[in-house]
Amino acid sequence: MTTTRLLRVLLLCPVFMLILQASWAQTKNVTGKIIDEQGRAVAGASVIGKGSKAGTSTDANGEFKLSIPANISTVIISYIGYGTQEIIIPSSNEVAVTLHPETQALTDIVVIGYGTARKKDVTGAVASLKEKDFNKGVITSPDQLLQNKVPGLEVTQNSGQPGAATTVKIRGNNSIRSGNNPLYVVDGVILDGRSARPSVSIGALGGQTPESNPLIYINPNDIASIDVLKDASASAIYGSRGANGVIAITTKKGSSGPTKLDFATSFGVFAGYMKKYEILDAGQYRNALTKYQVPNASTLDGGKSIDAQDEITSDKLSQNYSVAFSGGNETGKFRGSFFGGRDQGFIKETSLDRYLGNFGGSYKFLDKKLTIDFNLIAGHTTEHMGGISNDPGSQGNLISSVLQWNPTQPFTDASTGYYVFPENGSGNPLALITGVSDIADVNTFLGNISAAYKILPNLEYKFLYAINHSSGNRNTNLYGWLQGYGGLSGLGSGSIANAVLSSQTFTHTLNYTADITKNLNLNATAGFEYWKSDFSNNTFSASGFNTNLTQASIIDIPYTAMMQDASIQNLPSTYIDPTTELQSYFARVILNYASKYYLTATFRADGSSKFGENNRYGHFPSVAGKWLISNENFMKNSTLFSNLAIRASWGKTGNQEFPAGASQEQFGFSSFNTAGQINVANPDLKWETTTAYDFGLDFGLFKGRIYGGFDYYNKTTTDILFQSTAIQPAPASTYWINIPGDLKNTGYEIAIGATIIQKKDFTLDVTFNYANNKNLLTNFYAPGTKTPLSILTGTIEGQGVSGTLGQIITNDQPVNEFYLKPFNGFDDKGNQQIGADPVYAGDPNPHSLYGGSISITYKKFSLTMNGGGAGGYLIYNNTRTSVTNISGILQGRNIDEAAYNSDEGPGSGVGASTRFLESGNYFKFRNASISYHVGNVVKYVKGLNIFVNGNNLFVLTKFTGFDPEVNIDHSNSGYPSRSIEYIPYPTPRVISFGLNFSL
Amino acid sequence: MISYKNLKIVAVLLVLTIVSCSKLHEDLRSTLTNEQTATSLGAAGTQLLLQAAYTDVGNPFTDVGQVFSLQENSSDESLVPTRGGDWDDNGVWRVVHSHTWNADHAQLLQTFNNLNKLNFDATNVLAFNPSASQAAQARFLRAFALYHLLDFFGQYPFRNPGDNLLNAPQVYSGDSAVQFIISELNEILPDLAAGGKANMGIANADACRTLLMKCYLNRGAFANRAAPTFDDADMQQVITLGNAIINSGTYKYMNEYFDNFSVSNNNSTEIIFAYPNHTGVSAANSGINGRWFATLHYNQYTPDNPNAGWNGFSTVADFYNSFGVSTPLHASTTSPWSDTSVDKRLGRRFYAGVTDASGQRPGLMIGQQYNENGTAIKDRKGNPLSFDPAISANMIETGANLEVTGIRVEKYPPDLSTGQASYNGPSGNWLVLFRYSDVVLMVAEAETRLAKSATLTPEALTLVNNLRTVRGAATVTSMPLVNTANVNDPKTFLAERSRELYWESLRRTDLIRFGVFLKPWAYKTSDDEKNLVFPVPNQALAANPNLTQNPGY
Repeated sequence: MTTTRLLRVLLLCPVFMLILQASWAQTKNVTGKIIDEQGRAVAGASVIGKGSKAGTSTDANGEFKLSIPANISTVIISYIGYGTQEIIIPSSNEVAVTLHPETQALTDIVVIGYGTARKKDVTGAVASLKEKDFNKGVITSPDQLLQNKVPGLEVTQNSGQPGAATTVKIRGNNSIRSGNNPLYVVDGVILDGRSARPSVSIGALGGQTPESNPLIYINPNDIASIDVLKDASASAIYGSRGANGVIAITTKKGSSGPTKLDFATSFGVFAGYMKKYEILDAGQYRNALTKYQVPNASTLDGGKSIDAQDEITSDKLSQNYSVAFSGGNETGKFRGSFFGGRDQGFIKETSLDRYLGNFGGSYKFLDKKLTIDFNLIAGHTTEHMGGISNDPGSQGNLISSVLQWNPTQPFTDASTGYYVFPENGSGNPLALITGVSDIADVNTFLGNISAAYKILPNLEYKFLYAINHSSGNRNTNLYGWLQGYGGLSGLGSGSIANAVLSSQTFTHTLNYTADITKNLNLNATAGFEYWKSDFSNNTFSASGFNTNLTQASIIDIPYTAMMQDASIQNLPSTYIDPTTELQSYFARVILNYASKYYLTATFRADGSSKFGENNRYGHFPSVAGKWLISNENFMKNSTLFSNLAIRASWGKTGNQEFPAGASQEQFGFSSFNTAGQINVANPDLKWETTTAYDFGLDFGLFKGRIYGGFDYYNKTTTDILFQSTAIQPAPASTYWINIPGDLKNTGYEIAIGATIIQKKDFTLDVTFNYANNKNLLTNFYAPGTKTPLSILTGTIEGQGVSGTLGQIITNDQPVNEFYLKPFNGFDDKGNQQIGADPVYAGDPNPHSLYGGSISITYKKFSLTMNGGGAGGYLIYNNTRTSVTNISGILQGRNIDEAAYNSDEGPGSGVGASTRFLESGNYFKFRNASISYHVGNVVKYVKGLNIFVNGNNLFVLTKFTGFDPEVNIDHSNSGYPSRSIEYIPYPTPRVISFGLNFSL
Repeated sequence: MISYKNLKIVAVLLVLTIVSCSKLHEDLRSTLTNEQTATSLGAAGTQLLLQAAYTDVGNPFTDVGQVFSLQENSSDESLVPTRGGDWDDNGVWRVVHSHTWNADHAQLLQTFNNLNKLNFDATNVLAFNPSASQAAQARFLRAFALYHLLDFFGQYPFRNPGDNLLNAPQVYSGDSAVQFIISELNEILPDLAAGGKANMGIANADACRTLLMKCYLNRGAFANRAAPTFDDADMQQVITLGNAIINSGTYKYMNEYFDNFSVSNNNSTEIIFAYPNHTGVSAANSGINGRWFATLHYNQYTPDNPNAGWNGFSTVADFYNSFGVSTPLHASTTSPWSDTSVDKRLGRRFYAGVTDASGQRPGLMIGQQYNENGTAIKDRKGNPLSFDPAISANMIETGANLEVTGIRVEKYPPDLSTGQASYNGPSGNWLVLFRYSDVVLMVAEAETRLAKSATLTPEALTLVNNLRTVRGAATVTSMPLVNTANVNDPKTFLAERSRELYWESLRRTDLIRFGVFLKPWAYKTSDDEKNLVFPVPNQALAANPNLTQNPGY
């Protein structure tokens, strides 16, 4: 009902705009010149007569001439990035204005959920990043903008494949299951967090491919700011979904002024591996054949010298183009943008194509009492993925074929030109690149419209409706001419998968501000929200085709174009998840006494259809206080402190990441003519509750030249959502239950920034952040007992180690503690000795995270460098365990240099043990950017900027794999793994060039 | 200040807000509720639920890491050596053979859970108004699961239809556990369809009789695994039930032993109960091809598939030698086998449809292996692929011959009916669960035990000799039941059972019943009495306090 009315308003909107453009009568001419704080002429600044619709913009000399109705007494001057000024027109009708940058003012605004607040007024732990703070260079999704930028925020790229998902954690592990990612909120719209890119298991080549990033449809160039809500005071307003923290993304909006066009482009090339995997080169390999007395060594020496790691990399160019136009006046603003680009994957034939559009606006009606905001994001992305899966079994994936490739052996037969397939089962990497085609298209639409009406000057009602609809299609072809893969070779296999993800939000909020007394200010918000999400998926696969079964007869028609031509039609898999509905009531009160004492209290009641019928509603309160000491009279004259505040907060937040339908009894169909109960229902099922304390200190010294903060937090998650062993006989092996137990995360965070040099032609800014987190699971007992529970997870993959689990979730240990058999060295025959029983072997969760940046500007040059790392944790190198282990040499496979240089003998065998645990400590020089601000060129080109970026320039680490920043999904029955490396998509070093300017 | 009028506006807005709230309901959308299952599917729905129980049989009984591993790898018939970079798998396979398992062993948990899923789904049928026939089939399937649970764990949990799944169910153990299964089977027998080729894929009367025979024959072993006893009445029951099957004339021995296991084994006249698979049909396929992949070398079968086999499961020389073949024979490559003096069950003969397409000769594989063209196959290191009976003492192969140690066993001839598609893909061999010759041998055993004789009675010997004759083995004049000093003594009835029923997931039960499960045999040197029964998986024990951990664990 409300929606249709709003839609009508929206439809009428353009009509209003036309009307508003028309008609004025008696006029006067106002002239003037506008300069910036450095005295330079400002071209393109907007000048509008206040109360009229007449406006113009300044020319290249900063001068303007405006004809306005004679009764207009004020002009409004605005320019992007500068504070808007209202100037009373002097009788001379000549105006001279100096604009001042408003970056300081912008920095001040923080998104706090269903509203914004000035940074100084915020009582919670919130980190706010603006565009200038973001990481530079090759960015495919918004979370990458934040890497190493916010203390306590851990962003790990799960794969080097462009567009792959990241693991994002705020202040440690809040849950023992998957579902640790924070809640994403884009312009006030809560996202589902899943991606509509269908998951596919690439059959014979083993296992699930890495997940896709659910945010790739958001153009990073469109993001104005990102706020990271870390403590319960900040995130409790999001209730049962706030426990993992909240990342609130605010997109750029139009601003008043003449229409402006921004253009940006960049081109990227690869500059090799950030870090190569150390395997034997051809010379060492030959020596190894002799050293280990490999039978038939002479036939294994192919006489060449091949670096398989180099052969698979792409030399193609990545390119991005983006254009944005914006403009507006006092009552209406709009901004639109288009982005098109291809991010080339480091591995041949892999890429991410993105075509993204964004259109938004804000229009005011009824004497500005009514504001209509809308924003539409439409994105089309195409991923070309290689044959790289997370959990390939004995036959490995593309990367294992690279690492195992005999470096003396050419990839193709000299006479036929066909790919060679070694009989040792290692696979031919170039053949895999050609013979595997895995393409996913995802179309995403995120639209929202809101209407805010000022009932009274201090009382505003707002309605928001948003829809997020995303559909994905994926075609996977594995060609039958690839030899050596059981179930694939000579057969071929194809699969088509589709998924649809759709969510809708209705939000009503009422905001009231009042000065209760002269010094006591109140800001109260109350609201109701309804959220609904649907997900469905279907997959069809078949194998046993008649085409593309030999290299001599390859045709250019994929199997997925003729699925009926398959001798083995696998059962289709189609499902629709139960609809998830949430309805919530929330309220927030912010009291501010004399801008010295602040109190914030929030409350949210969340009802979720997922919860069992005995626990439909959860309640999430929080309270926080702040003392802004620097506003006290005794501090007013301090020359040292420009800002000094202490904060404290307490609150409860929830996590409801368990599968929909888990609380109800369900009967499912598995194939024709079979039906059976599929789960153990638990009508008591509810959310997980995280109770958090935070104590914080914010400071600014020497007029803000040095600034920073310190936070200590203590979080305890209880009512742990747990897949407990079902009490047999049962229809499933596990069921969902909340169990008592405390998952604790305690830590501290430090952020410091300083403007070390601030001269007219030379500035130097540095920032540094550090976070320390300790994770521990306690009171983790089987229901009603004092028997500690233990969950084994962290699958160790590969031939010979099937079924091995390397991590444990148990009482008095951090989540995912390594639990491996001890390595006891080599015996006199060089066989590795592995103890019989596993031991607690170390923590895979980084204890410390740090990051820093340096920005230097010198005249028109600027240089920005960002880096960071993690420390105090271990990585399990599964690649060394089962792919490059020494036993491979006997079959003519390549092996790793460490094994070659060890005392190990070739018959040592494979086995998972503490031997392959390596320190994960690293520092990564994430990106450096040098830009030159050319400024205005010819008549129309303004603010031309050219730049060179380098990404992943180097990494300092003792870890022997490709990248210590790694998290390959090795989860077991829904329990995630952590810090296990297994033949991942490698990380490239990328150099990009680009320019941007405005028209 | 807030005026009264403004408050009214706020109140109205708040009311509007609250009205817009909905009653939260989780719509399942692609699955059904209990009520929908009962009402909308009706009588047909009960059949669907029954079918789900049937499907539950496939995985735990076919997979080489569940019932099969627990019954065979724990015995003198099978083991999985670790081969350099393969088959360590954290030692799971070795501990089963060396009898050093513990209550965290993954295969135990998986077996426990999957048998109980069958237990659950079969019980669930009874809550949905089944017909007499449906109820009988469901109760048979439940009894089938309970029998195996009892055999492995000495106890089983039991729920009544419609029980709250969050409550711990009661547990049956000891004689009441066997007695319950027996009474169930006796009650349902009249409601089951007659046995025979047409009904071998469903619970039939002869399958019910066979399971009853197993209950009676093993009852004394379940009661006292260290010193099994054999009650006369029980033995008489075995004989009576067995003779009902034998005398029905429904079953007769197949001339070709491996026709009982091949892709066309649904034509076998020996199979009493089996799990159906269909070539190229992935629906409900139990993955029978794992049975040949598990044992075949990587390089066996086609040049496209150097990694087709998994090169794992092997058997030992003592078992091979129990066939009385003194010298290793050399298989001819392309022509049919002509030596008729060898026990057919040993295999190694030309088998049409398999040997001509792959070079493989079903049965025990020893020595050089050939492809379909008669060319000698090499292993991945380029050495001749010649299976060597000698396995490293600790079952960890580190030598240059690590890929070729161990005699291989191809009990199920691969399905090559549509070439690679069936070999790799959904294969059509039915999984044999109960077979006629087992019934005959159980009758022979019961007659001997009833007579309290250490050697087969004349009637029993006749039954065994009839079987041996069909299998191409010479008749014998006397046969002791068991030689406790030598488990693999070829002259014994225990060895005869092994020759006839090897790798059919029966061996551990037999060894316990014959009182020799704790004796040493190849690659198992010592043992402990606790191993006569498996430990209850720790996870199951934590979930259900009514379960009792078995002594010693």
